[in-house]
Amino acid sequence: MILKTSGLSYDFGSGKAIHFPDLQIRAGDKVVLVGASGSGKSTFLNLISGVLPIQSGSIELKGHPYDQLSGRQLDSLRADHIGIIFQSLNLIPYLSGFGNAQLGLQFSKKRQSRVDDVDQAITALAQKLGLTPELLHQQPSAMSIGQQQRIAVIRAMLGCPDLILADEPTSALDPTATEQFMTQLNTSIDPDSQAVIVVSHNPEIIPLFDRVIRIGEDQ
Amino acid sequence: MIRIAAMSMRSRRIPIALVIIALTTSMALLLAVERIKQSSQKGFNESLGGVDLVVGPRGSGLELILYTVFHLGNPTNNITTETLADIAANSAIEWVVPIALGDSHRGFRVISTTNEYFDRIKFAGDQPLSFAEGAAFGEINQVVLGSDVAKDLGYRVGSSIVGTHGSESLGKLHDDFAFQITGILNPTGTPTDKAVFVSLEGYELIHLGWASGSQTLSLKNLDIKTIPKERLYPKTVTAAYVGLASKLSLFKVSRSINDYDEEAISAVIPGVELAKLWSIVGTVDSVFKLMNWLIIGISLISMVTMTMTGLDSRTREMTILRALGATPSKLAGMIMMETALISVVSISLAIGLVRLLTWGTADIVSQWAGIRIELSWIAADELLTLWIIVAAGLIASLIPASMVYKRSLHQGFSS
Repeated sequence: MILKTSGLSYDFGSGKAIHFPDLQIRAGDKVVLVGASGSGKSTFLNLISGVLPIQSGSIELKGHPYDQLSGRQLDSLRADHIGIIFQSLNLIPYLSGFGNAQLGLQFSKKRQSRVDDVDQAITALAQKLGLTPELLHQQPSAMSIGQQQRIAVIRAMLGCPDLILADEPTSALDPTATEQFMTQLNTSIDPDSQAVIVVSHNPEIIPLFDRVIRIGEDQ
Repeated sequence: MIRIAAMSMRSRRIPIALVIIALTTSMALLLAVERIKQSSQKGFNESLGGVDLVVGPRGSGLELILYTVFHLGNPTNNITTETLADIAANSAIEWVVPIALGDSHRGFRVISTTNEYFDRIKFAGDQPLSFAEGAAFGEINQVVLGSDVAKDLGYRVGSSIVGTHGSESLGKLHDDFAFQITGILNPTGTPTDKAVFVSLEGYELIHLGWASGSQTLSLKNLDIKTIPKERLYPKTVTAAYVGLASKLSLFKVSRSINDYDEEAISAVIPGVELAKLWSIVGTVDSVFKLMNWLIIGISLISMVTMTMTGLDSRTREMTILRALGATPSKLAGMIMMETALISVVSISLAIGLVRLLTWGTADIVSQWAGIRIELSWIAADELLTLWIIVAAGLIASLIPASMVYKRSLHQGFSS
């Protein structure tokens, strides 16, 4: 088991809490969270990633319950086990594509130990995602949004974290690029050790996933 | 993290460069002012080694020291050589070297004195004067030059020079009598380098026939050998340097000279008068130093302000790093590392700049102000000052660092 959530809810202070479904994520799972705008998809993802503090319920990542971890331990757990892809503005502008991708290993010794040759690993992932090696040496400002998102995928995948979380990674892409991106993301995952959870409001990508979790509907 | 911090700073190189320029300039200014002050104090203090007392007409002791030792200002009165002879009779006094001032040569002061001057006066602690060329004067028409005079005017031993009446370069020339250069002193870094030395008799000779600043008789019409020797021994001199047999009698001798009732004279202790001078100058120095520290303070504030305002535009960078697992303390450390780097770079540049400036301007300052600035990289007390600035910078950087520390990951995601 990679991830287990139970009885999660979150209240932003309005007194009306959002309740989230219980999740059990195993290696090889490809899950999409769908729901209307404001339904709490991103909030659910932020709770899973440890970005938001748990108000009620519980989360366990690789057997580590969040509520028993200090802030530092939670940071360390996230670095070791989770790769995150944001909706946009994924890359640090002053680092090259390569420099941004390398950041995936920066804060986790565990992930570093899984990579023998960082250059080779990044180049291999880039090829898998359809990026040329030359592009890796360019600054984000010289890349298209789609290319930037792919660099973010490399960063999230490097060192094989157990869980990949992606928050509407295709929102800035056209339909063709969206399908291509999602296919590439799903095929990059090692089914024996990794799982992916993607938040999207785009119903067209639903067929690319084997589980659909609807947020904001009656739990 | 160091690589990321360095790359991040590179991306903000223009504002960072401006802050570095501000810090470097203010620190270099602080170092330069301190160095000039120390060099001038050292130069002043080392100018009159071996002299225990300066005896001159009663008046301001500081003024007496300034015009007899540093050639600043003009003497207002003289003392008689008869009085000096009385003073010299005191058994506690080992030696008396009289000096008479008033003339100049192409802007350099003429000091008339005895040969003993070159044996008794010391510089830089206890170093005796020495000759680069030639020797002390032995005849009435011989002259010894300080090193700067010879260097600036291109004189060599054997050349002839004439004096100018008064200290103004446009004064009337004593062109009826030429002195022959018999010796050139080695550099000392003191006002001695800028002086022209003649014998008391030679000085008296060129003033024969002068009254109220006008010449009534030319030496060209006189056979100097016919002038009686006692006629050439001056009746008055400007002042006298006095050396004691024992330092223990300093205050006793000083008091006895001040109590001398035949003539209004006073004995001053050079070190005491210079201490008064530094206390006067010290107030100005403190104000200047305060202003310098204010400039440094403002530069540090601008550095912190730049870092704080930069935090908003760096939200994306911070959020990504936090999401990847960077702890708040690591990010706060990164901010402090940047500050430390800016401070260390500024310090290195300031040290280099001061070194370059002292190397480039040492000769000019020495010529212009007579201050020899030491060509050293950095003194221990200067280094301490600079580390205080680094420490202040690091303490100031705690403000933006704590902001980063407190900013939760969620705030970063939300913005």
